[in-house]
Amino acid sequence: MVEGKNFGMELRKAGCAGTLESSDIMITIHPGNGEGIEIVLESPAKQQFGKAINSAITESLMAIGVHSALVEAKDRGALDCTIKARTETAALRAAEMDDDEVRAKK
Amino acid sequence: MMLTEERVMKRPQEITSVKALLESQGLSLDDDVEHTLGIFRGDELIGTGSVSGKVIKCVAVAKKFSGEGISAKIVTSLLHYLSEKGVHHVFIFSKPDSAEQFRSLGFREVARSEPYAALLETGPHGVEEYKKELRKGFVEGKNVCGIVVNCNPFTLGHLHLIRTAANECDIVHVFVVREDLSLFPYAVRIKLIREGVSGIPNVRVHEGGDYIISRATFPRYFTRKTDLAAAQAALDVEVFARHIAPALGIKSRYVGEEPYCEVTNAYNEAMKKVLPAHGIKLVVVPRLKVGNEAVSASRVRQLIREGKLDEAEKLLPAHAFAFLKSPEARPILERIKTSDSRH
Repeated sequence: MVEGKNFGMELRKAGCAGTLESSDIMITIHPGNGEGIEIVLESPAKQQFGKAINSAITESLMAIGVHSALVEAKDRGALDCTIKARTETAALRAAEMDDDEVRAKK
Repeated sequence: MMLTEERVMKRPQEITSVKALLESQGLSLDDDVEHTLGIFRGDELIGTGSVSGKVIKCVAVAKKFSGEGISAKIVTSLLHYLSEKGVHHVFIFSKPDSAEQFRSLGFREVARSEPYAALLETGPHGVEEYKKELRKGFVEGKNVCGIVVNCNPFTLGHLHLIRTAANECDIVHVFVVREDLSLFPYAVRIKLIREGVSGIPNVRVHEGGDYIISRATFPRYFTRKTDLAAAQAALDVEVFARHIAPALGIKSRYVGEEPYCEVTNAYNEAMKKVLPAHGIKLVVVPRLKVGNEAVSASRVRQLIREGKLDEAEKLLPAHAFAFLKSPEARPILERIKTSDSRH
């Protein structure tokens, strides 16, 4: 988990990570309009777990300094750790950064 | 978990095997696809899918591997391919009986036309956002109609159709095909239309977007192949009847009679079947004739191709003819003369 409360991460383009395979989630993150994090979630378990999935995504974005984004999430029954990993990777791609750059910035 | 391998299919024998797999499912490989994926188990091709513009299509999985998550692999790979190219509003064109499977992968169904075709989409700016934009142009009226035009280029025939509708209806919404696959570019087509109807107060011109005769709703319109045209036309008309007409309160659709082109004719036939089922009236306006000749944009293009632009003057409004004579039109005229496209 990347911790980065001290810096903001600028999203330059849309970034995508994950798959549509069972137990995974596909996340596409678009630069936001400055009005927080908006999530469009498609999930077979939306009623039961929609809130939990949304907060897992929001928390992982906040943790790496993303405060404004439009997130598309296609869930296929992913666990929390998978959701966090996919969200982080999608955000790094959207910021055109790799892990090393994030670590360097911390 | 089954071990599989992904390959981009390019060589002739690879394409042959893709076609064989599609045909085993009653599908075919469209000739406008730009990227074709194969999923292999060992040497065996067990799944395929292709991309054309922002549309995923020609997706098939070998029967004995259905239920193994192969279509999820195909769609994932194609979405990543499109994402790399910056395409995030993505459609899937499929048979209606596959639609449920794609919905389970997070796609939303836009429309279907049983038993031939279904259209699904994903991305933040879908049909609901398009309708929201359209509704900004909503005008109250008892008798509101819609017309869809390509205007390749704008002729006296189009003007006649729009004027006829404007005389008979309170409000006329004109939708211009957005896809830039015609010999006259979109910017030129819509400019000539706007100028041509500027004197008619009850006409509104809209961009057709992704939902009116696009590569998603009606790919055959641009290839002029008639085999699947009827099926695709019906889907396009479903989208119009289900989404676009209600957004603007459209109660009738005006079309020009089609004596020449089989694809356009198939489109008119589809409207006859589909629109009344949604309570929308179809009004077919006879073609405008100059002398003995029906006015059509394809006739204008033919005259240009034969180097007889001046003969087209009688088929065109003055501003459109003036444009064709201007230096700005030269590259377009050149393209028409050298292109094989009849469109």
